[in-house]
Amino acid sequence: MNNTSRREFLLASATAGAALSGLRLWARPFVPIGVAGVAAPSTGAVVVIYLRGGADWLNMVVPWKDPVYQQSRPTLGLNLEHGLVPLDSHFALHPALSPLKKLWDSKQFAPVLCTGSPHGTRSHFDAQDFMERGAPGLRNITSGWLNRYLQASPAKETSDFRALAMQELLPRSLRGDFPALAVPTKMDRRKGRKTLDTFERFYGGGDGDGGMMGTDNDENVVRSGQMTISTLRSFQDIVAAAKSGDTVKYPDSKFGSRMKTLAIVIKAQCGLEVGALDYTGWDHHINQGGTDGKQNLMLADYAASMSAFCADLGPLLDSTTIVTMTEFGRTVKENGNNGTDHGRASGMFLIGGGVNGGRIHGDWLGLTPGVLADGRDLPVTTDFRDVMAACLRSSFNFKLPKDFFPGYKPGKVKLF
Amino acid sequence: MNSPVRLLTVSIGLSAAFAVFPPLMWAQTSSPDQPLSTRERAAHLLSRFSFGPAPGEIEHLLEIGEQAWLDEQFSAGPDLVLADMLGSLESIEMSIAEIRDEYNLPAEENESNEDRRARQRLENVPRQELLQSVAMRAINSRNQLEEVLCDFWRNHLNVSFTKGGPSKYFITEWENEVIRANARGSFPAMLRLSAHHPAMLHYLDNSSSRRPPSKQELREIELRTRRRTGSSAQGEAAVDLALQRGLNENYARELLELHTLGVDNYYKQKDVVALAEILTGWTFSGGRNGTFTFEFRNNMHVPDKKRFLGKTIKSDRKDGQAEGEQVLENLAMHKGTAQFIAMKMVRYFVADEPPESLVKDLTRTYAKTDGDIEQMVRTIVASDEFWSRENYRCKFKTPWEFLVSSLRVVGAETDNLRAILKASAEMSQPLYQCDDPTGWYDTAEAWLDPGVMALRWQAALDFAYGRVRGVSVPDHFWDAIPENVLPRLWQHHLTRLVLPGGAGERTRAALGFTTDAYLKKARVPDVRELGPQLLGLLLGSPEFQQQ
Repeated sequence: MNNTSRREFLLASATAGAALSGLRLWARPFVPIGVAGVAAPSTGAVVVIYLRGGADWLNMVVPWKDPVYQQSRPTLGLNLEHGLVPLDSHFALHPALSPLKKLWDSKQFAPVLCTGSPHGTRSHFDAQDFMERGAPGLRNITSGWLNRYLQASPAKETSDFRALAMQELLPRSLRGDFPALAVPTKMDRRKGRKTLDTFERFYGGGDGDGGMMGTDNDENVVRSGQMTISTLRSFQDIVAAAKSGDTVKYPDSKFGSRMKTLAIVIKAQCGLEVGALDYTGWDHHINQGGTDGKQNLMLADYAASMSAFCADLGPLLDSTTIVTMTEFGRTVKENGNNGTDHGRASGMFLIGGGVNGGRIHGDWLGLTPGVLADGRDLPVTTDFRDVMAACLRSSFNFKLPKDFFPGYKPGKVKLF
Repeated sequence: MNSPVRLLTVSIGLSAAFAVFPPLMWAQTSSPDQPLSTRERAAHLLSRFSFGPAPGEIEHLLEIGEQAWLDEQFSAGPDLVLADMLGSLESIEMSIAEIRDEYNLPAEENESNEDRRARQRLENVPRQELLQSVAMRAINSRNQLEEVLCDFWRNHLNVSFTKGGPSKYFITEWENEVIRANARGSFPAMLRLSAHHPAMLHYLDNSSSRRPPSKQELREIELRTRRRTGSSAQGEAAVDLALQRGLNENYARELLELHTLGVDNYYKQKDVVALAEILTGWTFSGGRNGTFTFEFRNNMHVPDKKRFLGKTIKSDRKDGQAEGEQVLENLAMHKGTAQFIAMKMVRYFVADEPPESLVKDLTRTYAKTDGDIEQMVRTIVASDEFWSRENYRCKFKTPWEFLVSSLRVVGAETDNLRAILKASAEMSQPLYQCDDPTGWYDTAEAWLDPGVMALRWQAALDFAYGRVRGVSVPDHFWDAIPENVLPRLWQHHLTRLVLPGGAGERTRAALGFTTDAYLKKARVPDVRELGPQLLGLLLGSPEFQQQ
């Protein structure tokens, strides 16, 4: 989009927003004709939550009846007396995840077990890069899988942001040529608006910018500045227009409040297709604990936020898929510090109206030594790219171009 | 802090800086292969090997020359003015044990809420003072090369307060003895010290990594617990717990991946396990009466021989520590380490996509000088790659670099840097609080996202308008703008001060727009009115985000 059309388009979307909410959002010199405040049709949205650090899935969906599990985890191991929430005859949820049981019962929650990468790296940074780029082992691929989706598909409707991350920096999955917005959580709304106006001229926007030159090597900065101005404006409009009066209570945490804002944007139905959010700190080498450690607290926050988010979306949950992932699982055996070390397969959670929920997905081979990867870790039975592909297909009717995942043709998994 | 220290930036030849100059000559955009002008070279050197020029520094550098500037930086003794500024921060020279003794009061029985809060405040003082001191040095130190190198090494060998626990006592000494003491010196020495320091051993869990207990030890544990508690069930529970104590691979992995060889470079998972075994027993004396110094505990050490990087490491039952010492030395001298450090330095100081030819040269320097950091810096500055226009102003400043260079460029008066530290945290880069052992990334890819710029703009305007607590633009900065020129030319003088490398056409036009709007309204134009507006814009301009 060149500057003029982008500008017109911005004006249009702003006017549409104002018409919808009945508010005059900000003064504008002119109003373009032919843009009515049409309520957007609901498109699908995918929300990707990344648990950074390698979350211990084995203590999230727990094969508690397996004696090897209990032997391997004398301090971390969970049992019914800890309050495990049985899902089926083999598996139970960590007690802190109990808010998800309601979604399981309504068939909107589908855990996938033993997901992972064919690449055996146990480095967080490599594993995250490979996964978020959907390109295990390929260091020359630098775009994220979500960004490639955005590049390869036309916008479902005119939207100023098809994609945003509810944090100061984009996750790698959203990096790439398609411009996605990272929303700084601390942006004073009114002051922020004025700031954006002030700097418009410096970044090639505003009146009278007849293709003026910048300076040495500054194209990327200028482009990022332009995006910042246009998308933050729209974002602020949406949040400002949201009805106050909370009916759904979110946990009073960073994750909770970011999920809440994301729900506002989805509920505004402004064409958001991809939302992303990081949850850091899952690298529990020490003091992971069973029901009395760090993992317990974090899972409780995660599950309560997720449950609130789903309730908040209401009927829109039907067209929304929330996928939760992490870079790898952790050792089956606990280590000497009430924690676990880096392993191989982990798991993924799919939540939403369209998922084939209320049942466990992914092949489970048990925990006998012969089965374990390198004799110590959960083996990978579902390539994470299969799950990603399923999400894109089901949510957007997206036909994956050849080599969307370089060198890999995703298998079909019945997750939806 | 009890008494606020008033900090004044040293001004070097300030008046000399504003000799006559042609106001419209410095701002052209040059063609790609045109060599950098002398002034551009000065701006370039100061933006990469200092946190940006302070008032008068460009002129100082132009006067003495690039080599002399570098020599000055390498031979500089302590900055006494800075030392005076830091004088009131009582904990910043303390050892871990001293900090623990001075700032860690035991909780009294039936402690009141007020007492508890006071105790917790006291515990936090060393951390706050350390962060203040790091910020003050970065902004005010004359030994800028040292500060930039400290920033580099701090992120190369990352430790973090977010680890919690005793890390709040550890990092002050870490900063002084591991990072600062070696930042301009020897990498192998720094690496060795880092492996012996409680901050690292704790941060990456090596201090609790050990061999599984022997049968005899288990029996002793059971007996001891039974005797103490009189319960056989508790005895068994203690054995169960002890059985779980074992190897922790965290430090071994990052030592290879992040500190020396680079990821999957020359090593495999089995080498990680072997290295973890080699380093078992490397811990520190902790606990209530601990000295908080390095300690090797042979009873935690895996006694077998190990195979690491294709070599057999013989075990010495009496001195298991020697294995680790030997391996650290080998790693420091490994060609993989030379390549990895060279690549990272070129990426940090030259370009996000490090030119291979320069990485090769630098690897050679590392190998030839056993990792002498001064020689590596000199190799970079002597290279053609460093001075090419392609690499001029091509690096996007990290949030920290942006904030520090903003304060430096006006010669800010600083007496409390809490607001600046907070701003950096809000831009996702809190000092010494990077959870990931990677440290903060040094490439645009990690920082340049749409959205981020908004926070910088806000910070630039807040600072220029004097709305940031504890820091201000000093009078002498405004005084440097000559009175006898047309108000319309103020923007050129300001641009020359803030962007010594020049401004592009778009930025000049945008500044002109603001100037015109102001002059139309103002009855008596006042540089103290228009100046802050223009300064905020300049600090938020595309040019200032780059270095």
